[in-house]
Amino acid sequence: MKPLALILAAVFVVVAVLYFVGHGPLAAPGVHVKHGIVSIILALLCLVWYRFQSANTTGSLR
Amino acid sequence: MGTCITHARGLHRQRESLPRVRTDADVTFVQAMLLAVLQGVSELFPVSSLGHTVLLPALLRWNVDEGSESFLAFVVVLHLGTALALILFYRHDWIALTRAFFATIVRGRIGDDPAERTVWLLVAATIPVGILGVLLESSVKKLFASPIPVSLFLLANGFIMLLGEWLRRRQKAHEAQPYRKLPQLTAKDGVLVGFAQSLALLPGISRSGSAIVAGLLRDLHHEDAARYSFLLATPVIVAASLLEIPKLLAPDAHVVLVQAFVGGLVAAVTAYASVAFLTRWFRHNDLAPFAWYCVVAGAISFVLFATKVIA
Repeated sequence: MKPLALILAAVFVVVAVLYFVGHGPLAAPGVHVKHGIVSIILALLCLVWYRFQSANTTGSLR
Repeated sequence: MGTCITHARGLHRQRESLPRVRTDADVTFVQAMLLAVLQGVSELFPVSSLGHTVLLPALLRWNVDEGSESFLAFVVVLHLGTALALILFYRHDWIALTRAFFATIVRGRIGDDPAERTVWLLVAATIPVGILGVLLESSVKKLFASPIPVSLFLLANGFIMLLGEWLRRRQKAHEAQPYRKLPQLTAKDGVLVGFAQSLALLPGISRSGSAIVAGLLRDLHHEDAARYSFLLATPVIVAASLLEIPKLLAPDAHVVLVQAFVGGLVAAVTAYASVAFLTRWFRHNDLAPFAWYCVVAGAISFVLFATKVIA
């Protein structure tokens, strides 16, 4: 799962960049900045997920 | 929720494609104060703020252009006021949750501290509503943000809460287990609550109502389910308001500066009083009164609009 977290983070960063330059997959006038911000947040969450998996496998929300 | 802001913009886009039958009219001071009170109350009571924002001006036949830059700026300030009230009310929780958030990231694991589990349950529930909100909100509003669908969704909102309470009573009749506390929820429970509150993208369905019902069905007590719902509301309202702050810099925004400032304060005070009331209410009471209010208000509104008593 660790590589998946990193791959997803990278994908979300790319998607965010595409949205910010106005070429996002669902870009429409006025919404691309919001989509870009959400993509960045998702990328950060994927990195947090990676961090959780790297440090310890115990203590999750189970 | 911040949904009102994009709802207003959706209406503006709809109107751009239609022949204009009314001239732009800025919100009057009295209307502004009424809308501020409505926002502060209906944002947190499980009765759908967005539904009321659509129905009330239509019922009162207000000649307000909800898509104008000045009105959008006004709505942004109302939401900021509501967010401020929520942050102030739960200030001790938010300090603990913020510390817990960074502590877990630095440590790389979620410990047994209730704040650490709670903050990640908030993250888990915010992801679905954040993604679905950004992707679907404007298209859903374009389809449904008119009085007749809103009346029906308000009616449905009442039935969802009644059904939730009924299922909950049935569940408890078969199980003698005590209620779970909020930190005892799992990530799956959090995501389910997140999807449930995404129903509020439909104007007339209450975000807090659907989140509380989902919490109840995951075995939370009303008090904990409501607290989870109000904590969840804060990041969503703050994010929606911050994204719309550029509206305050629009050329026409200064027209309603006084109304916006006073309205923001009124919304903050009303929201604070609402959350204080509701946290006490849910210690010993359930969703039934709010559910019946939605059923009655939805049914009456539907009859009035469908029979064109109010056009």
